[in-house]
Amino acid sequence: MSTDSSAQNIREETEKPKYLRIIDLGKCIGCGSCEAVCDFIHDGTAFIKLYRTSIGLDIPISCLHCRKAPCIDVCPTSAMTRDSEGAVYVDEARCIGCMACLYACPFGIPELDPRARVSIKCDLCRPLRAMDLEPACAAICPTNAIVYGEEVEVFNTVKKRVAEMFAKTRFETLHEGYKP
Amino acid sequence: MVNYMKFAFLCKEKPSSNNIKVAIIGAGPAGLAASGYLSCKGYEVDVYDKQPLAGGLMTFAIPPWRIPRENIFSGIKELEEKFGVKFILRTKIHSGKPAREEGDEFVEKNIPFEEIIDNYQAILITTGTWTSKKPPVKGIDAKGVYTAVEYLYRHRIYELGLTNEKPPYAKKVIVIGGGYSAVDAAEQALHDGAESHLVYRRTIKEAPAGIFEMKRIEREGVTITELASPLEVIVENGVVKGVKFQRMKLGPPDESGRPKPIPIPNSEFILEADLVVFATGERATPPVSPEDKEALNKIGIKLTKWNTIEVNNRMQTGNPKIFAAGDVVNGPSRIGPAIRSGLYAAKYLDNWLQAKLLKPIPSP
Repeated sequence: MSTDSSAQNIREETEKPKYLRIIDLGKCIGCGSCEAVCDFIHDGTAFIKLYRTSIGLDIPISCLHCRKAPCIDVCPTSAMTRDSEGAVYVDEARCIGCMACLYACPFGIPELDPRARVSIKCDLCRPLRAMDLEPACAAICPTNAIVYGEEVEVFNTVKKRVAEMFAKTRFETLHEGYKP
Repeated sequence: MVNYMKFAFLCKEKPSSNNIKVAIIGAGPAGLAASGYLSCKGYEVDVYDKQPLAGGLMTFAIPPWRIPRENIFSGIKELEEKFGVKFILRTKIHSGKPAREEGDEFVEKNIPFEEIIDNYQAILITTGTWTSKKPPVKGIDAKGVYTAVEYLYRHRIYELGLTNEKPPYAKKVIVIGGGYSAVDAAEQALHDGAESHLVYRRTIKEAPAGIFEMKRIEREGVTITELASPLEVIVENGVVKGVKFQRMKLGPPDESGRPKPIPIPNSEFILEADLVVFATGERATPPVSPEDKEALNKIGIKLTKWNTIEVNNRMQTGNPKIFAAGDVVNGPSRIGPAIRSGLYAAKYLDNWLQAKLLKPIPSP
């Protein structure tokens, strides 16, 4: 079973353009807008949540939709699966609620639905994407800290931001006292 | 890739209109999120705001280095142009004599709240917290003393080109408080080229803005003094000259769960300043004055002792057609909780209107 899903895990990788969500912590201001819309869409359960850390910085935590997802590999019923755009999601009808996915996840993401007793997690807003809309967290984020798009586009956006930062630092070193 | 605040994140375009008119009072994050939801449901949404631009405190207080302004404005523009949301700006909705609040400078038109109630099928109040709390210390009304909202507001309206009047500037600025408004005000002063000094009555470990933010502005150049509380604003010829503080120590937890600051006797000290900002909290500003018991009863709205609006678990006030959300219900908070509450209120408002439409017509 696990070799099957593992093969599928990699095979689907190469078919269609894949999408990716990156949370740019350098831009995040901890406002909680992502958590708010996620909570609303899922009737009170947010799959992106802010955690206040010991140094007082709020960090949004959500599924990273790993490209070699251990949760998919470990799932005994193939309930944990990946859609054609790359998002890892739970096929609830197949899930037995064993939480092997949670044991396998390095980020502690999957949770148990209190009513349905199945594993639940972020699916990058499958219903919204079916309507050609973006995941809600990425759509609402006031600072563009949540970047969602085709892989290449996301990788470039993130690097462009670093380039901007380097350029700004360089400029400020040359022109001391410069304030943007 | 959406690179702005997409308030209408639930639909591609507005469905055909259901011809039901709803009013939202206050174009901050709660009101904007609600208008996005309701326009996706086909409602005709009118949003009223006293400011010349929408966005609420995101536009008029939060500095642009925290939230890029075009991200807010593009989202508002989309609501207006693509989703048919009507923004009626520079217009204050209030029952009876409009209360004096902060940020009233641009109001051109006052409409009685009762008129709005009559003209719409349902109303959502998202008027936020536009009054600042000031501690009752001597000299607080002196020239050069501002609240954080006032201080940041003056900077925002100047940057936005809404006024020619330069924002308050001084060489030595003292900001009092430990929340995000305090951090923003202290950082603002620094950006203005001032010597910026933040004073908080607890330690930065207890500060609502968090250790990280406090240390960040400290690295940028803000001086931080912990465990001191203002006793008196020192005034000379009506102008602020400094602040007299008293040292504090942390005691057992108070009602907020944080250690209570306890004054240390004979520990007064003075810090010089030519501008003082009190970032000591804001109060809810509902569209009916808390003193106007008659209007409150007539409309059917109840306020709590903090002036916030009382709502049931469907976010409905005592008057079934009036809902309320955001800071005016929860007290000062962040953008996220405001958006969350605005969305839920919009959903409950929609449910209520739909249920009403389904009701059989009673036989005569």
